[in-house]
Amino acid sequence: MATSVDDTGPESENGFDMGDPELNRHPQPGYRMLRDSGPVVRLPGVIPSRANADAHLVGRHADVVTVLRSPDIFSSRFDAVHIGQVRPLIPLQIDPPDHAKYRKLLDPLFAPRRIALLEDRTRALVSDLVDAVADDGGCNYHAAVSEPLPSTVFLELLGLPVSRAAEFIALKDGIIRPPAPTPEERSAMVDAAGAQIYAVLQEVLDQRLEAPRDDFISDFLDAEVDGERLTPEEVIDICYLFFLAGLDTVTASLDCMMARLALHPAERRRLADDPSVIPHAVEEMLRWETPVTAVVRVTTQDTELSGCPIAADQVVSVMLGAANTDERAWDEAESVDIDRRVNKHLAFGGGVHRCLGSHLARMELRVVLEEWHARIPEYRVPEGVELDYSPGLRQIADLPLVW
Amino acid sequence: MRLDQERCQGHGRCYILAPVVFEPDDDGRGMVIAETVPRVLAESARLGSDNCPEDAITVIDD
Repeated sequence: MATSVDDTGPESENGFDMGDPELNRHPQPGYRMLRDSGPVVRLPGVIPSRANADAHLVGRHADVVTVLRSPDIFSSRFDAVHIGQVRPLIPLQIDPPDHAKYRKLLDPLFAPRRIALLEDRTRALVSDLVDAVADDGGCNYHAAVSEPLPSTVFLELLGLPVSRAAEFIALKDGIIRPPAPTPEERSAMVDAAGAQIYAVLQEVLDQRLEAPRDDFISDFLDAEVDGERLTPEEVIDICYLFFLAGLDTVTASLDCMMARLALHPAERRRLADDPSVIPHAVEEMLRWETPVTAVVRVTTQDTELSGCPIAADQVVSVMLGAANTDERAWDEAESVDIDRRVNKHLAFGGGVHRCLGSHLARMELRVVLEEWHARIPEYRVPEGVELDYSPGLRQIADLPLVW
Repeated sequence: MRLDQERCQGHGRCYILAPVVFEPDDDGRGMVIAETVPRVLAESARLGSDNCPEDAITVIDD
């Protein structure tokens, strides 16, 4: 889960303006500045909803790894991010040891063996979406593919009605990108959207209790953790997290990757000429673009990182994109190399909260790139168009491509 | 070759990149197919180890 808008806030006195379009378009120089400023960079007062309103940005790879692997000190608990939830989201906002019992239930459902079963259906969906635009000579890629594909895959998997996808996407956007000028208004908007998501989930859950189907919601209602059934509340707390994660992150990743390839013809031609490089290209673009730029933790005690003190109950923004481009940890950190032999990027986070959906995301990204380039190998961004990336979760709502 | 099950978080890089020496379990975590591998597979073992985001895999050249 990425930093919410609240966390990235307005321009700070340190000069990191998270709303700067150029920074969102090309965040890598900003990441370098962050890393070179020190192990921990404090942005004062950027989270007005918290008593301790500062954010602490951590960008060096070694420190990011330390934070991700120390959930006892850097907790992912309820108050790390405010995304309209009224109870801790499962499993993201549950720390060890309870965390493990939920992951034990969920990990097999998202393991590569299970995800492989979804590939044919995903490929058919992509094929239909590509067919719909192939003869048009151009499209807004975000609207044509990036948004509909992952949301359809996810809604089918979870068991929410695909016919209501537009409504669900709007609710999700109300939380991740609330279109309001002040933090107070944004917060109110987030809470309102959250209440609606809970209502939708409750409605579907009631239907599945009555008549189970072949979907995750029905599976969860039937599932046992340590010999005990999940409560309806627990099922909703899992589905709420899935709703936000499932409807946004792969969309952002597809936007970032297709924009990258449209703007870099040599890379694009390699993928089009030799689809076997696509999995490697996906990994390298995940590293370089890091579509989910950050995850958030809260300190449970006074601590320090590489000599920098951080007090208890402080928000720590774990800057995954900065870690993924840190020359302290990578050879040729700032060049994009599809043939990179070693690529242990943290685009899916790391430690116990490693993105549950990472294998689903990888499969979707690969299948889309395979199907798209088989049909439409030549495409570009029209002359004179500057793409705008949203902060935090890097979507490109207007991504015109022509061919 | 050792894979620390406590450290492994199921990123899956090892068994994707080097399926001759690593395999997934039902949860998606990595497992070594055999603790000792012949020299001809050493590069695969190292590829898996070098790409583990959790540094969970140790390869010792004996």
